[in-house]
Amino acid sequence: MGENCHQSTQNLVLRDYCQRKNYKYLLSGTEYSINNSYLMLQQLVDEIPVINGIVAYSLFQMPENQEKRLQIINKILDRNGELHFALENLKISNNSEIDRVENIWLVRQTMPNCISAI
Amino acid sequence: MLNSNDENSFLIDKEKDITSQYLTQGYYIGPVADKGALSWIHNSFLHIVKEELNIIDEDNAEPILDFVHQKISIPELNNFRLNVIKKINQLPDFRKKYFQIAKPYLDMLVGNELAMQVKVNLSIQCPDDDSSLLPTHADTWSGDSPFEVVVWVPLVNCYKTKSMYILPPDENEKLNKNFTSMAGAHSEDLYQSIKDKVDWINIDYGNVMLFNNSLPHGNRVNMESETRWSMNCRFKGIFSPYWDKKLGSFFEPITLRAASSSGMNYKLPELS
Repeated sequence: MGENCHQSTQNLVLRDYCQRKNYKYLLSGTEYSINNSYLMLQQLVDEIPVINGIVAYSLFQMPENQEKRLQIINKILDRNGELHFALENLKISNNSEIDRVENIWLVRQTMPNCISAI
Repeated sequence: MLNSNDENSFLIDKEKDITSQYLTQGYYIGPVADKGALSWIHNSFLHIVKEELNIIDEDNAEPILDFVHQKISIPELNNFRLNVIKKINQLPDFRKKYFQIAKPYLDMLVGNELAMQVKVNLSIQCPDDDSSLLPTHADTWSGDSPFEVVVWVPLVNCYKTKSMYILPPDENEKLNKNFTSMAGAHSEDLYQSIKDKVDWINIDYGNVMLFNNSLPHGNRVNMESETRWSMNCRFKGIFSPYWDKKLGSFFEPITLRAASSSGMNYKLPELS
């Protein structure tokens, strides 16, 4: 949902996040730039539990479609993995953390219908 | 512009009074709404500060904050401040307690469906320290939305240069009209052009200030004999416009209400 910056900057943010949390940063996966492509993300999800989890640059890189988003999140949790969002310093490691993140998503998706300029 | 005397307004008298003060002064100061929450925060700070400074025990713990400059040098101050901020923000209940301190005032001035800044900021300003200054600025000049309110909570009594200053709305209007000439070449020129117009905030521990972040404010070298400790955190309506300080990375919804939650999840039935 438009939360993007240059890949090298994203990598810096990811490395810094992992360093601060004492996580071992393996290799960054780069999503195809095709609209609504989550093929690389799906592949990373399938690598859990060989890897412990996934750190995304931003929460708003997840699918805009709630059903697809929750499908990915639930699959990660089912595999006992964690999903982190470096820019927002948020994580999903259990079901109760889904609501917190989903509320932010839903408000963000509602904002285009709210007053936006003064 | 909202007029607190508007006969069509359904605000009750207390709300009108607080609204009027906020709009005319640019800020409102009142007693904290939850003394227990403030004590919890204050005690947490004392605990962290003692830990950081290796103070084993002191019967009279109160002056530690006011006189922390006797225990720490200015070059050590920034690291000390960063460690204290990190530790206080790691306490799970901290932000909730902070919110409780100002809740009824936020309800009146912002609304009851709020987004809160993810991290609470801390200012420690030792006497004669010129390394911790905030030059004259309005938060809106650096990406904050004008729909935000700053909740400013002192941990010690703040007065004169141990406090902060703010430019009242009527003077800010004059500044905006003559900004090029008054702003000068750098921020000190700007302060010099408004220094006789600003209000220095006089606020004791136990009170909270809510101020308009679009009004120029800042601090000067603390010329008093005690150190200033104050926290600040921004709140806004969940659905009011965000500028550069975004939902998720800077703000998080804290009091989403049932109707909004229900509405955001609503989907019209589809005919197949």
